[in-house]
Amino acid sequence: MATSKNMNVFYRQKKNSTASTGQKSTKSPSPKHAATFGSDFTQPPALVSHGGSLDLKDDFDEQEQALRQFDMNMAYGPCVGITRLDRWERAQRMGLNPPKEIESLLKGGKVKLESLFDGRV
Amino acid sequence: MPSLQSKFPAMEVDSQEQLQRKQSTYLSLDENFEIQKEVYRGQQYSQIYFARLHMMRTLLYSLVPNWKSHLPVCTVLELEEGKECIIVGTLYKHMKLKPCILDEYSKERSVAPLIKPHNFMHQDDYLVLEDESGRVKLGGTKLSPSVYVTGVVVALHGKETSAGAFFVEDVLEAGLPPQIERPLESREDKYVVFVSGLSIGSSSSNPLQFQLLVDHITGHLGDEEEQGLAAEIVHLVIVGNSVEISRGLLNGQNLVSKDQSRLSEPFKELDILLTQVFSSHHCDDQHFKIAASLPLDIMPGSSDPANFALPQQPLNRCLFPGSATYNTFRSCTNPHCFELDSIRFLGTSGQNLDDLTKYSEAKDKLDFLERTLRWRHLAPTAPNTLGCYPFTDRDPFLIDSCPDVYFVGNQEKYETRLLKGLEGQLVRLICIPRFCETGVAVVVSVFHLPG
Repeated sequence: MATSKNMNVFYRQKKNSTASTGQKSTKSPSPKHAATFGSDFTQPPALVSHGGSLDLKDDFDEQEQALRQFDMNMAYGPCVGITRLDRWERAQRMGLNPPKEIESLLKGGKVKLESLFDGRV
Repeated sequence: MPSLQSKFPAMEVDSQEQLQRKQSTYLSLDENFEIQKEVYRGQQYSQIYFARLHMMRTLLYSLVPNWKSHLPVCTVLELEEGKECIIVGTLYKHMKLKPCILDEYSKERSVAPLIKPHNFMHQDDYLVLEDESGRVKLGGTKLSPSVYVTGVVVALHGKETSAGAFFVEDVLEAGLPPQIERPLESREDKYVVFVSGLSIGSSSSNPLQFQLLVDHITGHLGDEEEQGLAAEIVHLVIVGNSVEISRGLLNGQNLVSKDQSRLSEPFKELDILLTQVFSSHHCDDQHFKIAASLPLDIMPGSSDPANFALPQQPLNRCLFPGSATYNTFRSCTNPHCFELDSIRFLGTSGQNLDDLTKYSEAKDKLDFLERTLRWRHLAPTAPNTLGCYPFTDRDPFLIDSCPDVYFVGNQEKYETRLLKGLEGQLVRLICIPRFCETGVAVVVSVFHLPG
């Protein structure tokens, strides 16, 4: 069973970028939107979402990490089939005291409003 | 007696004595069961189970200190072998005979009989307790699989065995919810009539029976004393299955015009009868008329043209062109909750009870009804085996406040019991029989309930 410490088992690890670019220095530069851009893993098709851009940015994004932690936290109930904001508001109404930072992240900026599993389940 | 009057010319138009029908203040509490504001976003039933577990667990956690304060409370995953503790979670009953869609694909038909039994119980059924962290099989004899069903939230005292199961030593159910105290001053007699399963349009329904009932409650029958009693009826509740449409008309084929009129006949008949309940100018040559019409609530049932899943939404007013013009006509949800002069009524058209009958057993139907109150949930088997809307943020079937009258319609026979709670709650439990089979309606005296 995963705890908040080992969330990484649920999604692809971020590759060490310095090592991979070192390996590829002798090869021709990869095309910009190739499936293997930036890593050695084959990009699964499901991760290409929301207008065709690759989800690689999420792995580098701290905000998305925090939101995924929120998604996976069992105390606030299942995350599938409900938007993150709806889930946060539900947790708030139920008196579960969800972290305020998540609310400001969701209402603030350019974050994914759907949960981690949206489109993948 | 009425015929004598009609032989003489009417000298004074209003010489006939008029009885005033008694009135009650009505308050609808169906807002919780309405789904117009809900938006479906692809959610599954895990959301409603979470809402149910959270609400019930918070409640049970508050009751545990009064029950067994010396024991630690933990989640299913935190169980340790041999450590005595209390766990709270949702029950799941594994049933061997419960129909499963996968049975259709199994190559051999062994255990599941081809003919569906009325009850799916088997001696090998066992219970499992589940919360967000995990699930554990339940052992011991304290918790009987024949009594409980999937969807009930309970607190259990026990310990984990070496086999990995949880041996149950004691159970705590939520118990009857708190009841709002009613004012005790003695009030005049008032009556509420409940009728269910009219099944107009079916071969077994006799239109004269319902006509007789309508005539009786509108005061068109009997002598002065009878009509006086009828004037004390303040409300009529029609508890589901008012019409029955022949299956042949619903097979998806286009209907010829002759069949189209057959489809609407039961509704026309029902509307005509309900309009009579309102109009007090029904007959001309009556000695006594009850001046005010009788307010009525009509609930949908399993055979009515409403949505299948609970909570069923009110029948469309277009089905009742005559009676829906009266503002005392109310089309209500199923389940239905309302107050009359601050007396709270709560009930369903029977689907919740019928489902309990399939997946558990009891001495009589009133026992099932009592259990739902003790579990504080109208329909615990929803959404497992009973169709239900996938709510995300609440479970509308949770019972927060104990009703004064708790009814269920479309049952085999009339049964009633007065239930007393540990905190002084008093509830009148009523099973309303199917009218088309029994011709029986139930009259409840509103202000003599505790007795």
